Amino acid sequence: MAARDLLRVRDLSTRFFTGEGQINAVESVDFDVREGEVFGIVGESGSGKSVTAFSLLDLVESPGQITSGELWYRDEDLAAEFREQRPEAVDGEFVDLRRTSERVRRSLRGPSFSMVFQDPMSSFNPTLTVGEQIAEAVEVQRRASTNPRSTRSRTQGYGLGRMLAGMVLPDSGYVDEDSEAQAVKLLEEVGIPDPAERYDAYPHQFSGGMLQRAMVAQALAGEPDLLVADEPTTALDVTIQAQILNLLDDLQAETGMSIVLITHNLGVIARMCDRVGVMYAGEIVERGTLEEVFEQSVHPYTEGLLGSIPDLDDPAPRLQPIEGSVPNLLDAEMEDRCYFADRCPKAMEKCLDKPPEIECEGEHAAKCVLAETEYHDSRRLPEDYFEEVADD
Amino acid sequence: MSLGRFLIKRTVHGVFVVWGVVTVVFGLRFLTPGSPVNAVAPLDASQELRQRIARDLGLNKPLYEQYFDYLFSLLQGDMGYSYLRGIEASTLVLGRVPATVELAVAASFIAVVLSIPLGVIAANRRHEPADYGATLFSLVGISTPNFWLGIMLILVLSVQFGLFPTSGRPLGLYPALALLVTEGAPGGLLRWLHHIFLPAVTLGTYFTALITRLTRSGMLDELGKSYVRAARAKGLPEALVRYRHALRNTLVPIVTVVGLQLGTLIGGAVITEAVFSWPGLGSFLIRSINVRDWPLIQGSLVVIGVSFVLVNIVVDALYAYLDPQVVTE
Repeated sequence: MAARDLLRVRDLSTRFFTGEGQINAVESVDFDVREGEVFGIVGESGSGKSVTAFSLLDLVESPGQITSGELWYRDEDLAAEFREQRPEAVDGEFVDLRRTSERVRRSLRGPSFSMVFQDPMSSFNPTLTVGEQIAEAVEVQRRASTNPRSTRSRTQGYGLGRMLAGMVLPDSGYVDEDSEAQAVKLLEEVGIPDPAERYDAYPHQFSGGMLQRAMVAQALAGEPDLLVADEPTTALDVTIQAQILNLLDDLQAETGMSIVLITHNLGVIARMCDRVGVMYAGEIVERGTLEEVFEQSVHPYTEGLLGSIPDLDDPAPRLQPIEGSVPNLLDAEMEDRCYFADRCPKAMEKCLDKPPEIECEGEHAAKCVLAETEYHDSRRLPEDYFEEVADD
Repeated sequence: MSLGRFLIKRTVHGVFVVWGVVTVVFGLRFLTPGSPVNAVAPLDASQELRQRIARDLGLNKPLYEQYFDYLFSLLQGDMGYSYLRGIEASTLVLGRVPATVELAVAASFIAVVLSIPLGVIAANRRHEPADYGATLFSLVGISTPNFWLGIMLILVLSVQFGLFPTSGRPLGLYPALALLVTEGAPGGLLRWLHHIFLPAVTLGTYFTALITRLTRSGMLDELGKSYVRAARAKGLPEALVRYRHALRNTLVPIVTVVGLQLGTLIGGAVITEAVFSWPGLGSFLIRSINVRDWPLIQGSLVVIGVSFVLVNIVVDALYAYLDPQVVTE
């Protein structure tokens, strides 16, 4: 039996409202994440991968804002909770998180969703020990377990006074001994040697790889159903990268959680993912199973990405780069056409209209006219078409 | 490196800095025109009298001998005698220290207690009225001259409404506290508070404004960092994210600024002391310079320098305590 969906993302758009204008970082993105799978999102820098990740956890910060979309998350308890009060936000076992409250979304961080960030060194607080930060993640879930949607239950007995005292005096007492012990266990699980000793070390006393392991431990603290890993290996040495990927692999096999893996590294995608979405200029331009996307790719952008990988068995004299760079995502400058057209070697007249997402075989779909069979009818654009348009 | 070793290292540094200060202070006298004899001798003094004065003051000795004499007597707490008053300089200088320290600490206290919450509120409510209010306050506070503010406070609060005394320091904190402890009489302490309030506010306003700004921008800076997002991602409530995580890191640089300012206030409260006739070291130093009473000038400068170094060692210790990266680096 095919695995059930855990998360269905529909028409998700996230925009940044800056002084220069509105930036469409994520535009109308659709994808599903199934139970126990690794879903990969791949794309170059600035394509909206990280913002998509932040949007899933409702962590987009001002001036950014999720402007539209639905996040259907499968959670029976939550669905039961909302079936009465907000029937429009419930569909079977699914709840549209966008139609719940901020408080509900926050209560899901930890036990349902958690995240591994790109740069472990800056993603830990430099003035608290790593162990305490992990224990804090355990503690907040332990406190929340009695009343998961309440903020107060998470801070009970730990007011501003104690927080302030905690800055001056050591052992401020937010985490209790059980949480500490659990944190040590988590450190051990992710393969940190001498976990009890390393508990008291500060982030700067860790190596990058060890700290990334610690971050994975922190993300596991609430036993999440979905782990979002945003470029988890980008800041690490190549040898360490493989270790972290192995770790994620093992943990996933052990816990059965789903992973959304965000990376610009196609090798990582090929190694880890069951299904994959290719992002370009805020859109998912092609998606499907790993085989479909990598072996029967339709979108010229995907082909371009695959073509720019060096092949050790058949070293070509030069790699094939994609000409140009990602367009500026300022709303005012985005025309209503295929965003890749001006870099596309196969651009056609049809590309001047915005391509719909076209289903291919199986789960394979692409936002490209090439996915249609009748594209032959259309005329190729001359190669310098966009330069001339720009000159006008 | 442990915190203890770190502090020992800093203290050794401090000793050298103090030595440097003493040397410069000693040298100052020879860089300024005119002999100290002129300050002491009557205008019509004979050549013979002038020579005798020079000999009494030790001015006829070679420079290096004067330097080492000065250094060694200073080590024994001897700053020489006031040229004009004939009293031990150390008695006069150290007598001024309590008033100065009281004022500096009171001003810093007011500043810290007001500015950090204000800065945090401004950062929490960025681009809201509370933020604009705090920003405006800090702009006004930074640009208001001390003497004007002092005089205005006296005119309005003391003269017009009679809420506070206009000037003076009838008793120090120490005797006031002693009175409270031995006799159980809080009157002395209240009187002290009553008198120090306006000078402390005057001196502390600029400081409050400065730290408000620093706290606001520091907090905004920290809130934009990746670890804050990570803290939110693990489900921490916003209060914990802001105060347990972001504020803690905001305070690290602020401790340094507070310390440096406290050091500056010890020697730099001249104008406020003058406006409120506060008998502190700053006004004392200016008066001594006017009459070229070198032992008093040197003594004051050495005390100010030593205080600065001491405050800095304490700040370094706090800094190392708050930011664990400092000690290991």
